[in-house]
Amino acid sequence: MAPFPCHPGALAPLFALALLGCQRVELSSSWTIDRLRILAVKAEPAEPAPGDTVAFEALVISPQAPLQIVLWLACPADIAGVMGCELDPAVLEQLAGLDPESMTPEELAELYATLTEAGLMGVEPYLPPTWTVPDDILDGLTEAERNEGITLFTQISAIPEGAEGDAEIELAYKRVPISQAVTPNHNPAIDHLQIDGALVEPGVTLELDPGQAYEIEPVLADDAVETYRYLTLDGTWEDREEEPYFSIFVQEGELDAANTLFPYSSFTWTTPEVPTTAEQTLWIVVQDRRGGMNWWSQAVRF
Amino acid sequence: MPLLPLLLALAAVALAQPAPDAVPPPEASPPPGATHLPEAENEPPPLLKEPALLDFVQAPYPPQAQAEGLEGTVVLAIEIDETGHVASAEVIGPAGHGFDEAALEAARQFVFEPAVDETGPVAVIVEFAYGFVLDAAAHDGAVPEAPASPAEAELPVTLEGQLTEMGTRRALAGFPVLLPDLDLQTTTDAEGWFRFRGVPPGAHHLKAANTGFDAVEREVEVVAGEVTTVRLWVRNQSYADDELVGVYKREKEEVTRRTLSVQEVRRVPGTFGDPVRVIQSLPGAARAPFSTGILVIRGSNPEDSAVYIDGIRVPLIYHLDGVHSVINPNLVESVDYLPGGYGVRYGRSLGGAIDVRTRRTYPEEGHDLKWTTDLLHSGGLLSGRIGAKSGHPWGYALGARRSYIDLIIPFFTANSGYVIKPRWFDYQLKLDRLELPGGSRFCVFFFGFQDIMRVSTPDDVAQGTDQDAQGDFDMLYSTYRVLLDWERPLGGHWKLRATPSLGLDINSGSLGSALTGGQDTFMIELRAEAPWEPSEHFRLTPGVDFIGGWWGFSAKLPFNPEIAADYDPIGEREPWAIEDSGWAWGPDLYLDADIKPLADPERLLITPGVRWTEIWIPGEYTETAPDPRISARMRLWEHSAVKGALGYYHQPPMPYEMYRPDEQRVEEDFERALSATVGWEQEVGQAWTGDLELFYKHLDRLLVMNDEFTSLDDPYFINAGLGRIFGLEVMIKRAQVDRFFGWLSYTLSKSERLDYPDEGEDWYDFDFDQTHIFVAVGGIQLPYDLELSTRVQYVTGNPWTPYAGGVYDLDQGYYWAYSTAAHNSQRMPPYFSTDLRFEKLFTFKRWQLSTYVDMLNVIRGTNPEFVRYNYDYTEWAYVRSLPFIPNVGIDANWRF
Repeated sequence: MAPFPCHPGALAPLFALALLGCQRVELSSSWTIDRLRILAVKAEPAEPAPGDTVAFEALVISPQAPLQIVLWLACPADIAGVMGCELDPAVLEQLAGLDPESMTPEELAELYATLTEAGLMGVEPYLPPTWTVPDDILDGLTEAERNEGITLFTQISAIPEGAEGDAEIELAYKRVPISQAVTPNHNPAIDHLQIDGALVEPGVTLELDPGQAYEIEPVLADDAVETYRYLTLDGTWEDREEEPYFSIFVQEGELDAANTLFPYSSFTWTTPEVPTTAEQTLWIVVQDRRGGMNWWSQAVRF
Repeated sequence: MPLLPLLLALAAVALAQPAPDAVPPPEASPPPGATHLPEAENEPPPLLKEPALLDFVQAPYPPQAQAEGLEGTVVLAIEIDETGHVASAEVIGPAGHGFDEAALEAARQFVFEPAVDETGPVAVIVEFAYGFVLDAAAHDGAVPEAPASPAEAELPVTLEGQLTEMGTRRALAGFPVLLPDLDLQTTTDAEGWFRFRGVPPGAHHLKAANTGFDAVEREVEVVAGEVTTVRLWVRNQSYADDELVGVYKREKEEVTRRTLSVQEVRRVPGTFGDPVRVIQSLPGAARAPFSTGILVIRGSNPEDSAVYIDGIRVPLIYHLDGVHSVINPNLVESVDYLPGGYGVRYGRSLGGAIDVRTRRTYPEEGHDLKWTTDLLHSGGLLSGRIGAKSGHPWGYALGARRSYIDLIIPFFTANSGYVIKPRWFDYQLKLDRLELPGGSRFCVFFFGFQDIMRVSTPDDVAQGTDQDAQGDFDMLYSTYRVLLDWERPLGGHWKLRATPSLGLDINSGSLGSALTGGQDTFMIELRAEAPWEPSEHFRLTPGVDFIGGWWGFSAKLPFNPEIAADYDPIGEREPWAIEDSGWAWGPDLYLDADIKPLADPERLLITPGVRWTEIWIPGEYTETAPDPRISARMRLWEHSAVKGALGYYHQPPMPYEMYRPDEQRVEEDFERALSATVGWEQEVGQAWTGDLELFYKHLDRLLVMNDEFTSLDDPYFINAGLGRIFGLEVMIKRAQVDRFFGWLSYTLSKSERLDYPDEGEDWYDFDFDQTHIFVAVGGIQLPYDLELSTRVQYVTGNPWTPYAGGVYDLDQGYYWAYSTAAHNSQRMPPYFSTDLRFEKLFTFKRWQLSTYVDMLNVIRGTNPEFVRYNYDYTEWAYVRSLPFIPNVGIDANWRF
């Protein structure tokens, strides 16, 4: 027998780090949109069943250069890693050296079929990302397992114009549940915003003062918070209610936190003292922790 | 905060099973006031009583020196045998001008009360400063001598007195006292009393003077028909903890050891007066981040090194502040630092071993209170003797300390909504039965500590993106121990030692209400040894190192870790709670022999031994492994020795590594190390020592994450890892024989790991691999009881893995980092710092007050400690240590 190894003393450096905050170098914050970012992905339907065709949409912000393409891939969760999906190396080899402009339509169709088989879902702006759920994807699972479902990974690669290396490509991935759930999920929707308690009319540009702190609260649509049925491990059905939360992104200024904590939905934005531009955007992403995701873009003027 | 790493961490907390190992009571330890840092075991027992000068012989003042008005001090090394007579004497600090010869001749006639350890009177070597001080009569050419005629010897005592040292109230023996106007001189006896016969009535000038003390002079009035009694308080110019100025060296040392006195240790800057922290200034110990107390010994994981207090293994040696050890420094007698190559008494660990030994000496008279207050904590230790009049004397020591940074931090965070409250306290009670006949020993020792950390966060502000890992953070760590230390000589060259102990560890942690874990462990330990020593050439020691007990843990998580699908962040989860308990046993056996085959038993020592490490968890796990080990030390010449060790070391898996769901059988093996060391020791004079050691350690069967884990039928960890550690260590030390002490420590090492050798992976640098570790420590005593000490460190930076970027996980709201470089392929910049400690001692009649300032990193400024990345791993910056860390404090010492 040996003593427990994770000594509290090992936490001492973390404690010391907490005290050293005053001398940290300021690194960029996750809520500041100053470079190419993929902020959200929405699948419609949010929880497809076998045979459904899913349409995907992404919130991609590219402040420095226009986007060239956004590449969409899909793969099952059991072969995805922490980096998301990867194309089959054999397929990559097949792509290497190809010149699509010299290919015949038949060759292009065959290539497209190969790539689709390998997981390619779309190439924006040319090919909108869609995916049809195979009819037999849940075959062999029990009723409880079909109700719980399996997970599809969708990987998004945003490539700006003039990108010269991997470091300029933004990568992100999102999970999509596929099931025959009794209560399939739907993407939550934000109905409007409130600022310091006052309603912000949708579509209206928000007029704000620089260097001020504003409490902003996104308000969900009436049907956004769903009640759903869940089959517990011991085989009993249980009604549960979603617990959505919000992630916030701004171009400038400071936030009290990068995301909210359920059941609290408001956050504080301290606007920049000297805004770089008078016209800016505030983005709010909502997710229901069941795979559903949506967003709100709010125009701001200083 | 990502959920999965937090889950694993909390599961580790919940599954923790601290089970200290018991090791035998110290066989030998340094003299009181000294700090041991040996490289091997077999230490002689500590001195229970220091030698005391009974008969001081006054040397005639060298005529030439007297005529020239010269004074001087001769430093002698005096070997005192078991009868208290001087076996030999040599000059080690000459003064010239005839002083050396005169002092040597006189010293050879000294008579001492011999030093005593648990075996009885023992021979020792002491340093003695023989001072030649001119008094009024000497200046006039007269040489004061003791009365020569029998008539003088029959005269009644008319003037007597006692000399007592200020601050310590210690009686001063062998101290010259003069009546210059009468050409009379005498010396104090063992109790500090002096007596003059036939002093005529009237006023006389009395003077007491000796090297190292301020002279005291007083006008006394001798009254006819009475004995005039005076008491003189004498101020020491250089106070030390219960030891004569100089270094004790044992006559019968079996192995040479690195010895630091408590004074040296506690004056090293950056240690905050803690003797355990000095280990980080010695060879083989890596520098810990942020100067905390993490122990990385010879390239091993912190969890691979074992820490003991009086032979009882403890789960922590530092409080959660990483600065203060869990034992009151005033109770520490020695710290055994075993970086490697140690014998079979210590086991169940691959790395080093540190054994903190508590004091077994108590004030001869009265009681002693030591109190410390600094910016971070306060505490004290009360010690003394009781029961002497009843014939059953006991020594006692009662200590307690508490930190109060939890009271300070809120001042800085009052309006932030965040509250950070770290707090610790520790306590000790020791009772030592003294003066048992025949070298027997009995001691009862209670100690315990508690560490609490609470971080409160605003309820409505998210702490990271993980919605489940929110809320206040609480952590509790409590340890309680009681041990008996019993030793008794038996007949027929046998001795029996037994150290039974009981212990209770309670620890818990929680993050909000969703993530909680706790574990209680009740343990019974027994270390028993029965050494048989039929001659000075051979000793056989069989031993039992038993540990066992009951453990129980509970954990609550927002999802079930036994279901792989529950790791999906969008998957439905159910709160999961688990409770488990059981019994575990570790009945290790060992046997070693001390063989001295040469005619001179001090010349060569060979110690072969074997230990059987065993873990038995009924119904779940049984594993046994033998650890054969051998060490040897040979004294080539009087001041030179060569040494070496070779052996196997096995370490059982940690509790979280053994956890399997559904009562599945544990499959992991013990981790293993093969260690080899060779070294050279050299002494130069009485003050200088040098030590060079080469080491190599091969590690295999290291537990690593199972990369082929696909189902719950697979173990989480497998014994696939390899490690290799090699290097050299050098230490050059100057003992404090006068006003200066210091040492240089240098370690050159390489520590590497290979996690999956069958998969073509490469070796990588261990996380704490530090190629060069250089430490220089020095201290000097200045006039007016001022002390200045410094420590300079230069250490190679730790390895780190650079990231090239990250991929955004939209469901969890954070980036996963990826790297295009090899693991740990980069190095932090070197660490360089200079620390200073400045201390002033104030001495009063009945107490002493020491004020000090301990300043870390006074010159360089900030040092990078590790790398911090931004949210998407496209930017990074160093996290640096504080540029300057001061600590101000006081130490007070009362005798009453």
